[in-house]
Formats: sequence, structure tokens, C-alpha cells
Amino acid sequence: MLVAENLTKDYKDITAVNNVSFRVEPGRIFGLLGPNGAGKTTTIRTILNIIKPTSGRILFDGEPINDQFFNIIGYLPEERGLYKKSKAIDVILYFARLKNMDKKTALSKADYWLKKLDISQYRHKKIEELSKGNQQKVQFITTIIHNPRLIVLDEPFAGFDPINQQLIREIIISLSGLGKTIILSTHQMDTAEKLCSDIFLINKGKEVCSGSMIDIKKRFGTNTVRIIFEGDGSFISTLPSVIRIEKSNSLSETSNISSSLEVTLKDDIHPKDFLKDIMNRLSLTHFSVVEPALDKIFIDVIRNSQ
Amino acid sequence: MKKTLIIAKWEYIEKIRTKTFIISMFVTPAILLLFTLAPTWFNRHEEESTKAYGIIDTSGIYFNQLRNNLEKIKLNDEQPKYIIINLFDKKVKLNELKKSADLDVIKNRLQGYLLILNGGTDKIKINFRSKGSGSFDDLGKFEEVFNRVKNKIQLENAGVDTSIISSISKYVDISPIKIEENGKESKADFLTLFFSSFIFIMLLMMMVLSTGGMLVRSLLEEKSNRLIEILVSSCSKKELLAGKVIALSGLGFTQILIWFILGLVTARTALVPMEVFDNVLPMLGFFILGYVFYVSIFVGIGSIVSTDQEAQQMTSYISIILILPTIFAVSAIQNPGSTLIKVLSYIPFTSASIMMLRLKIETIPPGELLTIVLIMLVSIYLTITFSSKLFKIGILSYGKRPSVKELIRWIREK
Repeated sequence: MLVAENLTKDYKDITAVNNVSFRVEPGRIFGLLGPNGAGKTTTIRTILNIIKPTSGRILFDGEPINDQFFNIIGYLPEERGLYKKSKAIDVILYFARLKNMDKKTALSKADYWLKKLDISQYRHKKIEELSKGNQQKVQFITTIIHNPRLIVLDEPFAGFDPINQQLIREIIISLSGLGKTIILSTHQMDTAEKLCSDIFLINKGKEVCSGSMIDIKKRFGTNTVRIIFEGDGSFISTLPSVIRIEKSNSLSETSNISSSLEVTLKDDIHPKDFLKDIMNRLSLTHFSVVEPALDKIFIDVIRNSQ
Repeated sequence: MKKTLIIAKWEYIEKIRTKTFIISMFVTPAILLLFTLAPTWFNRHEEESTKAYGIIDTSGIYFNQLRNNLEKIKLNDEQPKYIIINLFDKKVKLNELKKSADLDVIKNRLQGYLLILNGGTDKIKINFRSKGSGSFDDLGKFEEVFNRVKNKIQLENAGVDTSIISSISKYVDISPIKIEENGKESKADFLTLFFSSFIFIMLLMMMVLSTGGMLVRSLLEEKSNRLIEILVSSCSKKELLAGKVIALSGLGFTQILIWFILGLVTARTALVPMEVFDNVLPMLGFFILGYVFYVSIFVGIGSIVSTDQEAQQMTSYISIILILPTIFAVSAIQNPGSTLIKVLSYIPFTSASIMMLRLKIETIPPGELLTIVLIMLVSIYLTITFSSKLFKIGILSYGKRPSVKELIRWIREK
């Protein structure tokens, strides 16, 4: 388990991280979210012992992070890049060796991952000869080849096509299943939503919102349902239980004759009761309770904090 | 320590394969050889052929003796250096003679000719007429021989004893000899001295610039793509710095070794005079001191710059400082004891180059030598300390170049 206690990092004229505390459980993916310049990278750098915090401390399994932790850390920085003139396999082996792996194990692991990520054929190609996506795969391998216990991924999906995003996502989930402590920093909310079990939202160096994904959705959820129906739905807006109606086109079932609406209900109205109200007056083809999207929460929370 | 070696090995192999390194390793000494030794080599070759010169001696007094004396001068291969042709003909007018002689010169039938007017009088006037101005050496020889012949003839006419005359007209060469403390003697020839120390200074400069430049570029690359963050989350900054410096020194020594072998090979071909290798060990010592000093400066620079332009700017400043001693080379050879040269050899930035020069041209007292070596060692220690502090903070700061004030703060930081 990784614990950050009252982490603060001051630079000359700004406080990049301001008294931030959180804990990351093994086997759970921790989403470090925030807008650009929020202090995500600085937080990561302090976690990784790249820079020293002005105050506060980082504990991993109860011990302060220090030079002994180099070999259990796997870090994928946001800005990618490898030694361009070197061969893929050489670069992978170099970083594996730097993480204290012996040559033989490193070689067999490298082959395993090259195969898994479907880039075995580029083993002896120079990095600069690979496509951007394949370069990123090589870099991803260097991040996890040494079976690190603490994995920090900064925007791991940037630059990948949907198929490869899926591949990387599966690997991250399986690593989490192996009990690794994983920190994922991103501003892609849909990614975070799919992967993270815990969320930590940071803005201007300060925590603005944190907790498990389920809790946060509950906390920020509004009483909204989505309905698709045929017929005249104009009466819905006159119902006393309804606060607001929005047209929604997000569902594929919508056609010329059917309409799709998102209906926000008063807090004390249960969706079940609303369903009863409309069921007999419309030909209903879809009814669902809307969960708040993480990006909506993100935008709302950031706006409110400013 | 293990990680330091892994880094050193990686950096060494990564860089030794680059085109820049391979080019600087072979092309640099090739260019230097060409520029420094080609002129002397060509001069030597020029001498290899016999030249035809004409003489128009209107008085007829000097021609025979001039010819005898000039044709006695031999080339290295024992062939006569000059063939002298009498162009004077009593029946032809002087103007006609000149015209036809000029034509011979222009048509390359003659290298040139000597026109002696008013011979035997005090108003004697001699022209050395040739196509180019390139025959300074010949002009000097002709002048010397003519004056000897003229004196001899005058003395003979005055009735001086022939044995005295021949004794007087013996020409004595003065050859310079450099004395060394251990009683060794060596021939000191200006050109050889200049070029042999010049080669070492240039090699030092090229090596510092090429490997230093490589270090700065690779640091810049690692900084800009954040590889540096992966590195410092895998090993300590100390290990990283040590690994890089070891790799760079390795590159330097590889270069020295290859250049040394190249030097020996060229020395065997007699293209390079053996004197270049006089005192080579102490010079190599200063070469290494200078190299390490400058490379540790480059580490500091590489840590604080964040764009290519900045890096180039800084590199060009350093190259100016490095080339500076060659400006003083000529005056140092002419006047080895000068205060300026002494002072410059105590300044770490110029010390190595100046010392390589001084070791060639004078014998330096052991006390002074020791002091200078100590100054260099202390300077190296200081630059390494400062540079590693700049490195530890600089590699993780991006964007604007830090101000001097910030740099001082970095150095003070624990």
C-alpha cells in the first residue's frame, strides 16, 4: 500500500502540490485526475522519489520511499521517447538491467512481452524505424518488464488506437489482479471511468474530490432517467415530479418515430413511481437510470472549486 | 556501482556507434595532418627536381665562378639543384637578350634568370627575373653565392693570398639546439615545434568538443523526452552521473588510443617528424587533465540548457577558450619565458593547452610543473562538484534557462 501524507511541494513562486494526502491499495487502480497543470506530474515525481517534497512524506508498505525502491517502481511518463538510434530489444534490456534484472530473465521476459503486445517482428528494428504506437508499446514493456510492485502510468493510452487501447487496458487490469499498486494519471475521463476503482481529483495543487468510484458516482449522481418512446411526450414536462427535460440522441434505437429524453426528477421521487406515471400514456421502448458521467462530475467539481 | 557500470556500458556503446564519433575519430586527425604537414611535405617535394636558371652577365666577370658555385649545391638525392646557362651574347643587343630570356621564362624553359648590369663597378645592379614570387629560397641562395663570388674576385684582384680567400669565404651554418636538464640535446626547428604542439592542442579541442557535444546532446534528448525521469526512478543521480562520465572518459581514451596508433603509423611513413613524439608522456598527462576538466564543465552545461540553440551557444564559447592558446603559440615559441605564457599556464581553462606547448619548447622546473598539476586537479575537483550539483537539479528542470542567481542556489543546495 502506498500512503501520501500531507504532501506539499513549493517552487519559487508557486505551490505545485498543497497538503495532499491519499492512499493507494494494492490490487486497485487509483486514478489521479485533474486538469492540465493541476499538480499531477509533481505528485507523481514526489511519489517516485524523483524530487523531494517540501514537506509531508510518502510511505510504501509502511516504509518511506527511498533509493531502495528503484527496482520495484515501474514508471511510464506522459512524454514518451526512447533512445531512437538503438534497437528495440537493446533498449528493453537496458532498462530491465537497470531495474536489477539478470540478463537471462530479462531476455525471456522481453520476448514474452514483445509477443504479447504483438511486436516481436520489430525486435531488432531501431526505435526510430517503428511507428509511434509501436514505440509506445516498447516503452510500455520497459515500464512493466521487471514485474514492479508499484506502477505509475501517466496517460498510458495517449497515442494508441482503440484496439491497442483495449490491449493495454486488459494488461493493466490483469496487473491489478496480481495485486500491484497502480496509479493512473489521466485527463481522459472515460478511461478512468472504465479502469479506476478509486479516484483522486486534484486542481491547483489541492484535493477537490476523492473516494471510490462507486461512492463518488453516488455522491454526484442526480435523479435522472433516460426514456425512449413513441407517441406524444409533451405532457411529461407538466408532471409535478419532473424538474428538467433534455433531448438526448445518444442511443442508437432512436429513429424518426421515436424520441429519446433525459428526465431529471425531484430528489424525493423514485424512478419507479415516475415509470408508473408514464407507462400507460406512452409506448415505452427504453427506461434506464442515468449514472453521472465522470467527465461531468470532473467539470462540475473543477468549476465549483474555482 | 553495478548500475553505474550498466549505464556506462550503455552510453559508451550507444555513442561509439554514432556517425559523429566515427567521423571525429578519423576525420579530425586527417584534416589536421593535411593542414599542418602538407605544406612542409610539398616543399620537400618541390626541391626534388633540378631547376634551370640563366645568367646574363654583361661584364663577363662573374659567370664562371657563379656557375661553379651554384652547380655545386646538391639536392637530397645528390643531383645538382641548379643548372646554370649562359645567356650572354656579345653580338646581340641587351634588349634583345632580355626579350628572348623573358620568353624562355614565360614558356617555362627557364625557372628564371639573373641579369647583372654594370659588373665590376660600384654601381653594380642585379635583377632576379622570374615568373612567380615563389622562389624565395632560390633568390636567397643566388644572393648569398653572388656576394661570396664578388668578394672573392675583389680580394683576388687586390692580391690577397688564395688560401686566406678560401678560408674567408667558407660559409658557416648556425643550427639551433634545445638543451634539456638531463643533458639531452635535440634539434629545435620552429615549424616542427609549432606544428607538433599545435596538433596536440587541436586534438584536445576537437576531442573535448566532439565528446562534450555528444554528452550535451544526449542529456538534452533525455531531458526533452523525459527518459531522464525513468532513469532517475531506476537509479540514483550519482550513479547516473558517474556512469555517464565513465562512458565519456572511455570514449576519450578510445580516441586517444586510436589517434596514438594513427600517429605512430604516420611517423613510420616519415610524414610526421619524430620530434612530434618528444615529451609525449607528460603532454598526454596534460591532455588528460585538460580533457577531464572540460568534460566536467560540459556535464554542468548539459544539465542547465534545455534547447539546442542554447547548447550550441555554450559550446561555441568553450571552443573559443580552447582555441585561445594557439594564438599565443607563435609568441610562446619565440619567447618561451614571457610572463603572459607563464600566467596562462596557471589558469585552468588555458593551462592544459599552454602546458602542452611549453613542454615542447622549454624545460619546466619540477616545482612549477607540480604546482600547475595541483591547480588542475583542484579545478577538476571543483568543476565536478559544481557540475554534479547542477546535474542533480538541472536534469529535472525544463523550460527557461535558469538565471545565475538560481544556479548559485542550486550549487548551494544540499
